[in-house]
Amino acid sequence: MKKLFVAAAAAVSIAVSAVSVQAQDWTPPGPIKLMIAFAAGGGADTQARLIAAELENRLGWEFIPEQVTGKGGVNLLLEMKDEANDGTVIGMVVMESLGYNLYTADVGLSPEDFTPITTTASAQMGIIAGAGTGWGSFDEMIQAGKAGEDIRFGVMSQRLGELAYLLGKAQGVDFNIISVQGGRAVLNGVTAGDMDVGFMAGIQGPGVAAGDLTILASAMSKPLNQDPNAPLLKDLGVDFDGDAIFMFAGPDGMPDEARNAIAAAISEVTSDPSTEVGALIERAFGGSMNLQGADLDEVVMRNFNDSPVLIEAASQ
Amino acid sequence: MDILDYIWLGIQAVFMGPEAFSFLGVSVSVTIMMVLAGFLFGIVVGATPGLAGPFAMAISLPILISIFGYTPDALLPVMGFLIGIMKGATIGGAVPAILFNTPGTPDAFMTTLDGYPMAQKGQAKKALRIAHFSSASGDTFSDIVLFVCAPFLAIIVEAYLDLPEKTGLLILSLSFIAAVIGGSAGKGLISIGLGLLAVYVGTGEDFYPRMSMGAEGLSRGFPITTAVLGVLIVGAVFKELEEIWRSTGSAKPVHAPAETGDQKLHWADIKNLFPTIFRSAAIGTSIGALPGVGSTLAATLGYTVGRARHQKSKSDDAPDFGDGAPEGVAATEAANSAVSGANLIPVLSLGIPGNAAAVFLILAAESIGGFNPGPAVFRFSPDVVNPELVIAFGIFTCMTIANVINWTIGGVFMRSMGFMINIPKTLLLPAVLLLTLTAIYVQETRLEAIWFALGFGVLGYIMRVLTISPLPFVIAFILGRSLEQTARQAYSATGNDPFFLFNSPIALIFILMSVAVIIFSGRKSKGAAA
Repeated sequence: MKKLFVAAAAAVSIAVSAVSVQAQDWTPPGPIKLMIAFAAGGGADTQARLIAAELENRLGWEFIPEQVTGKGGVNLLLEMKDEANDGTVIGMVVMESLGYNLYTADVGLSPEDFTPITTTASAQMGIIAGAGTGWGSFDEMIQAGKAGEDIRFGVMSQRLGELAYLLGKAQGVDFNIISVQGGRAVLNGVTAGDMDVGFMAGIQGPGVAAGDLTILASAMSKPLNQDPNAPLLKDLGVDFDGDAIFMFAGPDGMPDEARNAIAAAISEVTSDPSTEVGALIERAFGGSMNLQGADLDEVVMRNFNDSPVLIEAASQ
Repeated sequence: MDILDYIWLGIQAVFMGPEAFSFLGVSVSVTIMMVLAGFLFGIVVGATPGLAGPFAMAISLPILISIFGYTPDALLPVMGFLIGIMKGATIGGAVPAILFNTPGTPDAFMTTLDGYPMAQKGQAKKALRIAHFSSASGDTFSDIVLFVCAPFLAIIVEAYLDLPEKTGLLILSLSFIAAVIGGSAGKGLISIGLGLLAVYVGTGEDFYPRMSMGAEGLSRGFPITTAVLGVLIVGAVFKELEEIWRSTGSAKPVHAPAETGDQKLHWADIKNLFPTIFRSAAIGTSIGALPGVGSTLAATLGYTVGRARHQKSKSDDAPDFGDGAPEGVAATEAANSAVSGANLIPVLSLGIPGNAAAVFLILAAESIGGFNPGPAVFRFSPDVVNPELVIAFGIFTCMTIANVINWTIGGVFMRSMGFMINIPKTLLLPAVLLLTLTAIYVQETRLEAIWFALGFGVLGYIMRVLTISPLPFVIAFILGRSLEQTARQAYSATGNDPFFLFNSPIALIFILMSVAVIIFSGRKSKGAAA
């Protein structure tokens, strides 16, 4: 994953320098249907809608946002695959939708049936406990688990469930893994005491700052901004990471002209902290991550192909 | 951040929100205008026989969402409008009931019993004034109970109920609703069962669609608007159209009876009516706090209790209930209006809707996002602002504003609504149908949604023909997902214990009560039939 960030940095510089030219070369032939795989009103939905609003302002493109939720983004992919591929239909998902979720859904599709456009940001995914547990660190949780305490672990996707299971196996603790819908449900569950600990993708920020929540580990391939000293999953014996990367994709066969213009336009607004969406991304994720082109294709494909390996590891 | 800060933030969210216009340099927020507009619209709708609050809420919701969008700023204006309708429709319903012996809304039926005789005696205006005064009093009383109780109940639920107990509570609510709505536990259970069946199509945690029978249109499940509006509104329109088709000849225009004598409501009248109003308000509030028991039952109970007291205490020359007793109008109107506020207690503290109006408030919250009615709303987080709690107090503020509007201009506006009776249903119903289908399409933007809505409309029609109440269906549809999720979570949380519902005493009590409620109501209706 380190490669990914190097590539991302490179891509950002290329994208930003090229943006003004490309954005003018191509204009959408009609209003763009923007499918959003996230529940209305949440952080990811807000990000998508703000991007659309900013592009409408800057470039005069017209967007029609539409919620297509459910099945970890697979519903959106299924609905998008037969839509027009001239750049008038795009969707916002997480990379996991095109990876693990698409693989597990077993609908006969792979990332090659879509056109990845650009990533926008990588969520600050951490393993977070409620202050009520009294755990100050990951080790303290494991000690509690080994002492026989039941530990309820909230996850908001099937893939994170596999990671939680692998983490428990590596540490010799049997977590009671509770699967919920949406990151807010994990936060609510942990705050209400229905769960002890859970994966949170950035939503933990204010709670951690206020002392209501405790960071136990980073679930990303890199340290968390809020607590750079928290251990990574790989330090804890899990060879996979929980990176949640927001991205845009379109139907298969989108012309390069359209793909590059949309990618450049989105990169421009998400990497500019003076825009509303840029500020949101800066605040929530510590800055944008705009990976695109062949690099993006490769990462998405690798993500998909890694899925059977993860499933195999978790079923042993 | 203590409780007073949150209340203050909630009030600010309403008054300092996006500006509609400024008047003499004072900015008036959109939310306040929306509460006012909703309230007046509600009175008009309530005063129109054949239309009721839920109709108006159903049609307005998608249109409002398309105007205000899916931002957190949209929540209060949209909810404010719906709350306005909810309150306005209740008092509006009394107008045709008193003037023409035709209840404008189902819960105003008991108002006809004394309101119309009063009108015939030439006291129409006075009857309307009594109806308005009682209605506004009952409503205000109920809201105050809501403001005080909902946060405490939510905090108790969060503190004492774990996932298995929450599952048990949801099951208890569904079985209670099945037992009390529609008079037959069996039919209620059928309605609940159909609702759960419908909501489980295409949903669930696995990546392959459940029960979609391979159809791609079903793989995303039925959108909640199509099910709710289809069964509640389209079904009702179909049924009404059938009734018009059966009844021969069109209704003739009717005129209000002439007025004689003093029409004012004097302090002495108020003093006389006060015990009746207070009793009915308390009855309506307690009934309203139970999920599923609607305002019609509250009105009936309020009227019955009022009649019993009236016969004991009235002077000899005062009219009996049924002969135009002012107390009769007051007893009914205070009771049915007291339901609406209290009905939000289970909505806000548990996320469980108790009547059709509450269903649309939950629907609004779900469609817009950023506010999930349930115990998590009332988390008084001391260091970080809990935005949902601010919204909750914003909603309370909207309700208070609606009450102020009701007390000030509500009565005048209501008394001018007598002419709405002359709108023929043959025009009204097709218009409602068209508006509903348009509203659904606006929100779902795919043609399948229209087919789903019509399909659910046929289902709603059949249910009405078989006298199965469609409300349990709708409530089951709304609670179905959280029931499944809570149950799954409880199962995982207890380390995959299949008997999680029976291993905790509180959950076990809830389950036993669920069974008892069904058995008890089954026996009672058999006894009543014999």
